[in-house]
Amino acid sequence: MNFFNKIQDQAIYYQSYLKNYYHILQLPVRQGPLRTIQHLKKYPWLWQLAKVNCLLDVVTHGRSGNYRKATASVVEMIVPNLMELLDNLDADPDRLILHEDMVPPEILSAMGLKTWMSELLGILLPIVDPHSVEKYIDVAENAGIPPDICSLPKSTMGIMLNKEVPPIKAIVSSNSPCDGGMASYQLIKRHLDVPMFQIDVPYNFYNERATEYFANELKKMIFWLETNTAGKMDWDRLRAICEERNKMAEYELELWETIRRRPAPLAAEAVFLSHLWCFNVRPGDPDGTLLFKKLVELARDNINKDIAAVPNEKYRAVLWNPPLLHFIDFFSFAEQHYGLTIINDSMSYNRQPFIDTTSEDSMLKSLAHIIMTGPMARHTRGPAENYFNDMFYMYSYFDLDMILIAGHIGCKNTAALNGILREKCRNKGIPLLIIEYDLSDPRVVTQDAIIQQLDRFMENIMKERRN
Amino acid sequence: MDKQTGNPFQFSIEKLLEKAIESDNVPIGYTCNYVPSVLLSAGNLFPYRVNAKNIIGTEVADIYLSQVTCSYTRSILEYVLDDQLDFIQGWIFAAGCDHIRRLYDNLQYLVEPDFCHILDAPHKIGEDAIQWFEKELKILASSLSDHFQVDLSESALACAIKNHNLLMTSLKEISDYRKKEPPFSGAEFHRLLMAVWTLPLETVTTLIQSINHGLTNRTCPISYRARILLISSVIDQYEWIESIESVGGLVVADRFCTGAIPGINPYPEGDHPFYDIASHILQTNACPRMMDTFDYRVSLILQTIKDYNIDGVIVAPIKFCDIWGVETTQLMSILRENNVPALRLEREYKVSGEGQLHTRVQAFLEQMKC
Repeated sequence: MNFFNKIQDQAIYYQSYLKNYYHILQLPVRQGPLRTIQHLKKYPWLWQLAKVNCLLDVVTHGRSGNYRKATASVVEMIVPNLMELLDNLDADPDRLILHEDMVPPEILSAMGLKTWMSELLGILLPIVDPHSVEKYIDVAENAGIPPDICSLPKSTMGIMLNKEVPPIKAIVSSNSPCDGGMASYQLIKRHLDVPMFQIDVPYNFYNERATEYFANELKKMIFWLETNTAGKMDWDRLRAICEERNKMAEYELELWETIRRRPAPLAAEAVFLSHLWCFNVRPGDPDGTLLFKKLVELARDNINKDIAAVPNEKYRAVLWNPPLLHFIDFFSFAEQHYGLTIINDSMSYNRQPFIDTTSEDSMLKSLAHIIMTGPMARHTRGPAENYFNDMFYMYSYFDLDMILIAGHIGCKNTAALNGILREKCRNKGIPLLIIEYDLSDPRVVTQDAIIQQLDRFMENIMKERRN
Repeated sequence: MDKQTGNPFQFSIEKLLEKAIESDNVPIGYTCNYVPSVLLSAGNLFPYRVNAKNIIGTEVADIYLSQVTCSYTRSILEYVLDDQLDFIQGWIFAAGCDHIRRLYDNLQYLVEPDFCHILDAPHKIGEDAIQWFEKELKILASSLSDHFQVDLSESALACAIKNHNLLMTSLKEISDYRKKEPPFSGAEFHRLLMAVWTLPLETVTTLIQSINHGLTNRTCPISYRARILLISSVIDQYEWIESIESVGGLVVADRFCTGAIPGINPYPEGDHPFYDIASHILQTNACPRMMDTFDYRVSLILQTIKDYNIDGVIVAPIKFCDIWGVETTQLMSILRENNVPALRLEREYKVSGEGQLHTRVQAFLEQMKC
């Protein structure tokens, strides 16, 4: 890499760094010093979130050129969005809704409601600081929650049990993606003492009958919210959100087309973190569309100049199951030490339709399909084929060399398919690594132990030594 | 009844099952209360609540289901792979929980049974959910009818409900003894229940008549220090209850999947049997898999405590069950709020660690000053 490129990379980093800090510092300015101190006292996790800019270090580390620009852009999108979400700490309590990550916020936003995603902290905190949710996990376990339950609902319950959540009017949740997640909401409801509506996703959802049933569930949820909160459904607003989401999805499809190329022009956080944030936290946000447009342009530019995201790309993989939250550096580690590019992941890749905005019913049906086939839910619900078909399709579609499973110890649902998976991969000749770890608790399996698993796999199966 | 001891509860389920199968009865296996057993009683079919009561280890099942799934599902898979359940002619599952769903997937992959069906049981009890489930039951009935050539028309089903309800009524008469001084132990009653859940209706009817007859002039065979309500998911080994009773805790109320509360409540006998079954199953089962029945589940427990004059409650979830894990945490705090002595006892499906069980129960009884 020449000197000019190095300077350019540094410029990308510092430009983003300053922009992000500008947005972070805007929050106490908007809230005022007294309110900020009160919030820091009431919501101690704010101290951790104040460090969100360190995410920039993680996603730019070892990356250069357009790839660096792309990953930095994702963080540039997340930081101001997050600060806006934190404004909801002072939102009108009559309009603030606690929603499960499996119930995306399109409908709530269209109803003029403010949202607080229960699992957002459980996801974001360990990304920012690997040890940050340990205390909430301990709170849940000390309250009697079995230690073997997934650490995401456990940390979420811990935060709720500590009452470190803004005052809310109501809760909406579902039976997805797993029993642990579903069951946790009864405890949350009881502890916060607010009304709750839970939507019921059928077991097998790839059929018209299930879509009808679930669209009806959404109708009932809207009616319930109109009755129990100050929200009122604005269908035009929903249409605008859905149309914006469609635009974003169109760009994302283009992005996936570009990363099929070997070597990939972009990968890892540029693909998965952008999806995780824009489609799950802020769907229908025009800034999200702009971000995906930019990602496509950067990818195309790399293709035109014949530049690979990972210069020495040797292997390509999919990461199945949620990414390793407390070890997000795993992606750049794999790139730098093995030339292993993680092209896409099971949380991002989907075959969801564009939302049909021709009528209220058509919008609800499309949204029903999207929620039923939401991240994790589309693989953890329904028969085992739902889990395997996508995986093997992605393997050939993205021309991959191996499958990496983030074998989160708390995900019993997917652990119960590992035996079949091993046999299927063996029969197809696909190298498979099941990484044993815990999603958000690094005390269970440390980062070093995760690296050791990758090292052994690469050395013994792929016959590759670490650089 | 055992002629030598005169004990009406001394019968061999295995022998009765063997006899039933020899008489051309066809056992259909099911694993969850969300599968309506009455639907599996058509023609020569009979419902068999799948168990692996003599399981020793789950080494092979662990390879497929992993060691972090509930030991009930692992034990069943191990039993299947060990050819212990070859007599089952068809399998009906309900998508009740993550673990059972994955048992279904692994069974399909490893064994491919001739008849294997999974019911999509909703997690809610409202009208839409009932109608959804009614349709599911009709689909199952049609598959069963086609595969086994049995009559599952509405009229045949109405008749099956009637017979089932007659059996449940006579069972309830025995069960109700437990509200006062029962002439049998909790373990004995549980043996009877396991016969009810695993044998043809005619066999069980005869058995209940004989037990009813044998109860005259009988007293409770154990001296006890406290009356216990046992709350759990699947318990199909009476030895576990026997262990609790051996240290003085008489199990008089059984709020678990294979227990009588609310398992022996009769079905409604209306004009639309599929609808009636669907509503009965969704609304009366007290499984924590349901999203909108928490208050019902709690009130059922509190009512049972009152009706059965309970001294203490043992909540015994199977390890690795998420829904029972979270439910137990809440139940424990509610029971404490209501000043009900309660013991949380995590367990494995297989009866094991009896010494530890004795110590825990003894300490619990002493805590209650019984």
